[in-house]
Amino acid sequence: MKAFIKYWNKPSRCAYLFLAPSVILLILFSVIPLAAAFGLSPFDVPITMNTASFVGLANFIEAFHDERFLNSLKVTAVFTLLEVPLQVFGALVIAALLTKNNFRNKLFRAIYFLPVICSATAVGIMWKMILHPNIGFITAVLQTMGLGKINFLNTPGLTIFVVSFISLWRSFGISAIIYVTAIQQVSASLYEAAEMDGAGKIKQFFHITVPSIRPTFWYILMTRFAGALQIFDIIYITTNGGPNYTTESTVTYIYSRAFSSASSMGYASAMSVILFAIIMAVTVFMYRKMNKED
Amino acid sequence: MSSKREKRIKEKVCEIPVFVILLILALLVIVPVIWMTFSAFKPEKEIISWPPTFFPHVLTGQNFVDVQKRINILRYMLNSAIYAGGTTALAVIVNSMAGYAYAFYDFKGKSGLFLLTLATMMVPFQVIMVPLFLVVFKLGMYDSYWGLIIPRVVVAGSIFMMRAAFTGLPKELAEAARIDGLSEFGIFRKIMLPQVKPAIITLTILSVNGSWNDLLWPMIVTSSTEMRTLANGLALFIGQNTIEYGAAFAGALISLLPMFLLYIFGQKYFVEGMASSGLKG
Repeated sequence: MKAFIKYWNKPSRCAYLFLAPSVILLILFSVIPLAAAFGLSPFDVPITMNTASFVGLANFIEAFHDERFLNSLKVTAVFTLLEVPLQVFGALVIAALLTKNNFRNKLFRAIYFLPVICSATAVGIMWKMILHPNIGFITAVLQTMGLGKINFLNTPGLTIFVVSFISLWRSFGISAIIYVTAIQQVSASLYEAAEMDGAGKIKQFFHITVPSIRPTFWYILMTRFAGALQIFDIIYITTNGGPNYTTESTVTYIYSRAFSSASSMGYASAMSVILFAIIMAVTVFMYRKMNKED
Repeated sequence: MSSKREKRIKEKVCEIPVFVILLILALLVIVPVIWMTFSAFKPEKEIISWPPTFFPHVLTGQNFVDVQKRINILRYMLNSAIYAGGTTALAVIVNSMAGYAYAFYDFKGKSGLFLLTLATMMVPFQVIMVPLFLVVFKLGMYDSYWGLIIPRVVVAGSIFMMRAAFTGLPKELAEAARIDGLSEFGIFRKIMLPQVKPAIITLTILSVNGSWNDLLWPMIVTSSTEMRTLANGLALFIGQNTIEYGAAFAGALISLLPMFLLYIFGQKYFVEGMASSGLKG
């Protein structure tokens, strides 16, 4: 026993002991599942998981003929293009207005950050209720303003905007805070020099702030994009894909195909692989663009 | 001189619309939360009356009794606490051990293992959720606390955060302790770990918040009513069409309160942690 401890107490050896738990867990719960996602995709696996018949590329071919899957890709794209640009540019403007560390700004930052720590479940319930056609406070306020009784979460064409807004509401605070941290690190002398040259605040924003925080901008853009392509929580709580599949995102559809009664694990895996390819393609594309710019 | 003063006046005037915009945004964030909080204390009759009220006319605690009757919310809270507590305790141990090894030791395969960790950051959870469910099922951990907790312990972002915290410490500290006869694990636990307290607090807060709010994983890996967490149990509760609004308000408020408290006491760590590591997707 003593010899055993002595053997492993060498700095070069004990590193493996320190790393063992994390590496084992990573392999078991990240590497193997990723490999399995590719491995399962050419099989037909029912939820009982007793059988698996090889079907080759049939799952992929089925996906591209599956109206609901193609629709879910469209919904995801619309959601992403609504939410991400508003988030990355809107949060930047807000952050620029809140850079100074005075009491007022700290208070606003604390308020904007509040939804970030709330669960999608609670946020979803809250918005579902406040926009409810029968009990919703906002519904009533807009009705008294003469806009009629709008059924926000059950109107095809409108609901996807509402869902994007709720998602934006929940997460713009984190983007704004990350920008604030970045802007505060821009050298003050740059702003002083611009001030001397008579540049106004808006000019300073475009000529100093924006170029200085480029890396942060790209970081937020890439993470928000990847996040939006995987949207699930808010949609599941507020609409569950409805009305009439107009808010059914890809992950929402994958979830329902994998874990509902008409379950098909193999088919769900094939769709996951397609989604993964899309996310990687977008990320690599942006990464290249970012490096070209520098 | 006068132009400078003019400019200052101009800036002051510009401040007003800026303040109005910021205020409207703040109200947009805070008003729905306040409305929901008030509604949790309104009797069901007032909730369903049209037009809906903002301030409650009558205050009642009945909704909190009702939600316990309809769904066993105390049990859900316990499950959420076990999930968040278990995941966080293990995450602090495992991720800081890994971060320490990457920061302090040289060994064969270091860059390879580090690259593997980095690569797992690129794999979105939503993409591997189906096979992850199969792995957990095959390991016999389906619908158990182990199945909830163990797969969520290791987070590559946390390993990087801990590594960065440890990298800032002087190596001489370890050398001195080694000469004093302390074992390698003793050096880590007694000398190094206390030096990175802020990083550990940050990791704890982010992990508790993340698992308390987590919806998708508990949805996938639990099936029995007794195993449901707050986030997942409430989601299923309002998913049914027959709905008691008051109970839903009360349930949502109950699920938010611990996080509000955590935010009040640990705002600094929340903000710094999320801003620096971007752990939240």
